[in-house]
Amino acid sequence: MSPIFGETLKMKILSLFCGTDTFQEQFETIRPNLYRVAFSWSHNAALADDLVQEALVKALKNTGQLRDPALFNGWVFSILANCWRDHFRQHREMDDIDELEDCLCSTQTSPEDDHSQSQIVSRVRAAVAKLPIGQRQVLTLVDLEGFPYIEVASILAIPIGTVMSRLSRARQELKILLNELAPQHSAHVSHLRRVI
Amino acid sequence: MKSNQIISDELLNSFVDDELELDEKSELINAIRHDDTLKERVCELRGLKEMVQHAYRQPPSCTVPTVKKSAHWKHSCIQNISRLAACVLLLVLGWSSGWVMSARSQSASDQKLMPVFQATQSNNVAEKPNNFIVNVSSSNPARLKTALDETENLLEANKRADQPFKVEIVANGGGVNLLRSDVSPFAKRIALMRAKYPNFDYLACKVSISKMQKNGVIVRLLPHTGITPSASEEINKRLIQGWDYVRI
Repeated sequence: MSPIFGETLKMKILSLFCGTDTFQEQFETIRPNLYRVAFSWSHNAALADDLVQEALVKALKNTGQLRDPALFNGWVFSILANCWRDHFRQHREMDDIDELEDCLCSTQTSPEDDHSQSQIVSRVRAAVAKLPIGQRQVLTLVDLEGFPYIEVASILAIPIGTVMSRLSRARQELKILLNELAPQHSAHVSHLRRVI
Repeated sequence: MKSNQIISDELLNSFVDDELELDEKSELINAIRHDDTLKERVCELRGLKEMVQHAYRQPPSCTVPTVKKSAHWKHSCIQNISRLAACVLLLVLGWSSGWVMSARSQSASDQKLMPVFQATQSNNVAEKPNNFIVNVSSSNPARLKTALDETENLLEANKRADQPFKVEIVANGGGVNLLRSDVSPFAKRIALMRAKYPNFDYLACKVSISKMQKNGVIVRLLPHTGITPSASEEINKRLIQGWDYVRI
């Protein structure tokens, strides 16, 4: 029997005996969360979609590795972190700058950009995109998904002390970046006046 | 309690993220109550946390495939019967559990699926017809060629074995070039494959096409190219339907 049929048959048998449809529901439920975090890491919708897909496929194939169902979320997020790490290694020198959405690379801004940047969402995303990747990952796992520090340490395979220091630095940096990216209001506001 | 200067950012972050023990928390709350600067630091951290949450509450282009609850409900009875049958099967096929568990330990990365793909064509097509979805996301011509080679081999083996199963190529990102009439180096080959194998389909990802168009690229697709709202949605749908997934 070929491995792929074995794999499929195995998945189906497991789904029948172990109620893997619960797994399927869990995958469906967790998908938007994975996407949100993947997007906050990459700031590229298509890439985030690909990363999530890859993570889910790997998770589906390796459901047997999950001994404790209570650890499902952390387990899937650790797969996502691995996918992101692999992607980052593979494309370190090949990333297309045009693909980096929300990253303020240009100094020339159109009125539309100015308007967009004045929006808090764009500003925060732009600031998060400028954080070093390690800090960005810790920050988003804690703030967006509410993972405890210990679980973040497990997902990213780093010591908990590193989680705390990265988080602290991330928030300090974020504060500075948000101030830098805040729209500057001119002190001299020109008013219309009636000229008769 | 420590003074404001001594209280580290790490400690305040732990407080904001609810990571402190009860004693530490009480002590810190007490300190915050008597220290305006400390209060300000905590407020600032909470504000940052709120802003990050707000910024990613609705990320763009999140096409999340959802399982329709009604459909799910309709299938639940069938699934229960299947489970019962499966339990009987377990008794009869007890010996197979060892094999199943050993199969579980096999790693199946995308790369490893390639030889799997070939093994399927050569040996086991007759055992059990299974549909395949092949995902191409790179514009690298070598990868595009590999995708077509593997798909064609599979279709050919399938034809010989007279076992009807479907093979679908879904292209996203740079892989959409495979299906662009003005760019694809394999337009003729795809047309020939299409004519030869009725069970072969190819789809382009709408998200990727929109992105190209946004960048000023005029996207003209090959005849008979289907469009899926999102490649990942299509793959997810097929996986749920029990198709096998191969990423090139």
